[in-house]
Amino acid sequence: MPLLFRLAALWKKEALALTRDRHALAALFIMPAIFILVMSLALADTDAFSGKSRIAVRYALLDLDDSRASRELDARLDAIEAFEKHAPPADADAARRQVESGEIAFALVIPQGYGQQIDAQKTPALQLLIDPALPRALREGFYRQVEAASIRVSVLFAIEALEDSLLSDAPQLTALEAPRLAVEAVGHGDDPAPVLPSAVQQNVPAWLIFSMFFVVIPISAVFIGERQHGTLQRLATQRVSFGLVLAGKFLPFVLLNQIQAVVMVGVGRWLAPLCGSEALALPEGAAALAALWLVSLAVSAAAVGWALLIASLAKSSEQATVLGGVGNILMGAVGGVMAPRFLMPAAMQPWTRLSPMDWALEGFHQVMLRGGGIPDVLPAAAALVAFGLAALGLAWQRSTARTP
Amino acid sequence: MIRLEDLRYRYRPDSPWALDGVSFDIRRGGVCGLLGPNGAGKTTLIALLSGLMKPQEGRITLDTPDKRAVIAVAPQDYAFYPMLSVAENLDFFAGVQGCSRVERQARCAKALAFACLEPVAKRRAGELSGGLRRRLNLAIALTSAPDVLLLDEPTAGVDPQSRHFLLAAVRQFAAAGGTALYASHYMEEIEAVCSEAVIIDQGKTLVSGTLEAIKRKHAAALTLKLAAPPPETWMTGWRARFPDLTAAADNTLCLPRIDADGLIALLSSLAAAGVPVEGVAYGAPNLERIFLQLTRHALRE
Repeated sequence: MPLLFRLAALWKKEALALTRDRHALAALFIMPAIFILVMSLALADTDAFSGKSRIAVRYALLDLDDSRASRELDARLDAIEAFEKHAPPADADAARRQVESGEIAFALVIPQGYGQQIDAQKTPALQLLIDPALPRALREGFYRQVEAASIRVSVLFAIEALEDSLLSDAPQLTALEAPRLAVEAVGHGDDPAPVLPSAVQQNVPAWLIFSMFFVVIPISAVFIGERQHGTLQRLATQRVSFGLVLAGKFLPFVLLNQIQAVVMVGVGRWLAPLCGSEALALPEGAAALAALWLVSLAVSAAAVGWALLIASLAKSSEQATVLGGVGNILMGAVGGVMAPRFLMPAAMQPWTRLSPMDWALEGFHQVMLRGGGIPDVLPAAAALVAFGLAALGLAWQRSTARTP
Repeated sequence: MIRLEDLRYRYRPDSPWALDGVSFDIRRGGVCGLLGPNGAGKTTLIALLSGLMKPQEGRITLDTPDKRAVIAVAPQDYAFYPMLSVAENLDFFAGVQGCSRVERQARCAKALAFACLEPVAKRRAGELSGGLRRRLNLAIALTSAPDVLLLDEPTAGVDPQSRHFLLAAVRQFAAAGGTALYASHYMEEIEAVCSEAVIIDQGKTLVSGTLEAIKRKHAAALTLKLAAPPPETWMTGWRARFPDLTAAADNTLCLPRIDADGLIALLSSLAAAGVPVEGVAYGAPNLERIFLQLTRHALRE
């Protein structure tokens, strides 16, 4: 019971200190809200989201037919510079898993009999697996490229057939059709129908994550103040362990992060449409919301751990603001917050995996765009919690070494 | 009683000892003054007494057989939260002791009353004047209902009224049975509030005991500041008459006891020997003179 009283006193103090730091609150709530609105509107009709820009999107091709026609189709797609070909998957299930994990954006499956259908000048069938987290324009762009390449293959083979038939007595002309392209959005659960990603779908989770990591400002302000004014030492003389002090900071700031999440979702859902943007679409069902909350809690663990690490490394509030702010911006830039991963050059895309903000974004996308549940967000959540704990451990080590 | 025996502490293995064999006793129910120049080891000593650090050698014994003694610190810094009000600060520091709500409220009310902070209870601590901040610093220490109070320069930077109030508060704490260690650079405060004192320098105990005993043992009743060192023959002659006569390197002569006739004879003799006298201090000894005598006059840090 006394431990609970002590923790309650620490939580209350943090909450009071936080609510009186107006600048920090403004940075935590107004900044991301403005970012969400401005970036959603600014990017709504840009080339980036309409697919006009030249960007490297990875796809894999599974050729189950291995015919001259299928190899021709493969070669024609390979020639398109905007799409980068990934190593071929072992089978259709492997291709599906690669799309699910975000390793590739598309998988094109050329079924057996494709070459025969081309030879017979029938409408060929293809299967296209897509990542629903991609913008609609990008998905349509790839779809059209596949369609066009397949038509070209059909035309090529039809011309060859026509040349052969010209030598016969009764040349035949057959009307050519576009391929039947069975498109499947690869998601999780029973209903993988994707929520169509829009600028607001991209921006709400991205800027929410960014703002959650900005708890570094109020945490470091209080923590460094405590260290500089001797308050931490005073607490130590009152048998308040450093672990208890950290625990006292953890819950209020996790709670603050959750309030941020609710407010930013509200901005995306209700305020953004008022400003002319699309409304944020949320997954339905308790399981999806629980998964979303799990990601949000994991982001909090990472953000608060990171903030405490910065606070323990910095010698002054100014230094913490610079270290934390620049660190957040770098993590955001690398992690796909400021520019989505699919817009980055192919060589840079693997580097996004280094940023905790990318893990967080991946977790939110699993639920919000791919219809994933708790099992699907566990890897991202575990990585975030591990990052938070590692940062917390370093902060602990650093602070106990510094405090006599 | 608190007994400190041969305490030694250094911050790094290769650094000099911050405390190098400090020993003294603090009587229960009394206020002990802790004096020393900057860097003498006062803050280190308070950190050891508060439990913030453990002595590397020696030991501290608290003679409180009935229960575990509660030790509180009123540090030199304003160790509270400027964005919280006075009442909220007290409530927080009482809360981290693990007290129930009722106990917390009782302690806060007592601390507020003790430090006369009721009129400013709702004001943010960051908006208080220097004197009120010092009083809040003291009141926070009292929220743990301490048996022992460690005060590190509790009156630094306050006006005379606030200083007077704080000294009275410390006396009141001791009168109620509390034990206090009072570290300060202000000798008159130590003389006003303490019954005993310890002077440390360079990590060593120079003197400890009751103020009366210290004055009796160490004070020089006469201090003469000379323009030049007296001749050796003159010193030999006068030492035969006054064996306690000492000469410091800064041309200061000290003598614990001398009557008026003796003083006149001494001054006449110096004039005859051609040694001009620049200053004379004669009368009842005070702590500052003892302190300067023991720690030397040279400027520190």
